[in-house]
Amino acid sequence: MAPIAVGDVLPDGTLSCFDAEDKLQQVSIHSLAAGKKVVIFGVPGAFTPTCSLKHVPGFIEKAGELKSKGVDEIICISVNDPFVMKAWAKTYPENKDVKFLADGSATYTHALGLELDLGEKGLGTRSRRFALLVEDLKVKAANVESGGEFTVSSADDILKAL
Amino acid sequence: MATNILRRAASSVMKETFLTGTLRRSYASVAVGTDIVSAAPGVSLQKARSWDEGVSSKFSTTSVKDIFKGKKVVIFGLPGAYTGVCSQQHVPSYTKNIDKFKAKGIDSVICVAVNDPFVMNAWAEKLKAKDAIEFYGDFDGSFHKSLELGKDLSAALLGPRSERWSAYVVDGKVKAFNVEGAPSDFKVSGAEVILEQI
Repeated sequence: MAPIAVGDVLPDGTLSCFDAEDKLQQVSIHSLAAGKKVVIFGVPGAFTPTCSLKHVPGFIEKAGELKSKGVDEIICISVNDPFVMKAWAKTYPENKDVKFLADGSATYTHALGLELDLGEKGLGTRSRRFALLVEDLKVKAANVESGGEFTVSSADDILKAL
Repeated sequence: MATNILRRAASSVMKETFLTGTLRRSYASVAVGTDIVSAAPGVSLQKARSWDEGVSSKFSTTSVKDIFKGKKVVIFGLPGAYTGVCSQQHVPSYTKNIDKFKAKGIDSVICVAVNDPFVMNAWAEKLKAKDAIEFYGDFDGSFHKSLELGKDLSAALLGPRSERWSAYVVDGKVKAFNVEGAPSDFKVSGAEVILEQI
């Protein structure tokens, strides 16, 4: 799959999470994104440092600003199971806006063309670090890191694209 | 909850499993007498670690041989970090009884799951279990696959994972082995059962 790019239509896919009543749910990306302005950012792994200490907090901090610019949903995706995503989300008690969704089998990450083999670090197939701005399912910005850096995929970078 | 899904998914296993009071599955490749190192040649696990520890150790792995050779090990495997029975019953049963294991001369009590070593580390710290138990990740499931203990838990949105099991292994040879009829059960794989078998 070629990596998702500006101008592409966001593919649909099913991710999972625990809802407010702690029930396991499967969510279709299109149901969250159709007709809306959404930011989707992907991280290589829950409980790893850049993801936990920089990438996620940036979006939590800037959520208010993103929403004031018309963003309806801010979604964090990782190739982890929903139990791990729930536990990881709990480490951010101040978070109100970022939704943590699990792409446990990497199917959606594969549909976006953004998978990365991190087997030698004991992680297996994961996602690249990226951030997308999507309006009514059309990709307006696609910032994908080429390696382990954190240079183009932050909340500030997405704010610049709005 | 997910455990109900697991029970339903496992009911077909129950029909095939010859569970008339025996603790062993008839088709598991692990049984008393199995040499774990020969059953899983070239397989490694990843010790639970923080990312910094991963970087400084160059993401090193520990071979099955190094874990078991010349040691008395109690090892238990479970479907997933941060899931219900695993967190609330399985790990605590071993942390509670760690002194009894030490008194019986056990060198290591090991918990393994098909998770990456960073998730295992965060979970072990959350459960305050790192002092008592060594946690290892079998991130690609290769250890469990070699022992035919892999289990598809996609119905519970966990993907390929493992059975819930425990074993007492001396110098690589299995002396006692227990596996639950369903991964959501917790009847035979706890610390109390295996303490009686040592």
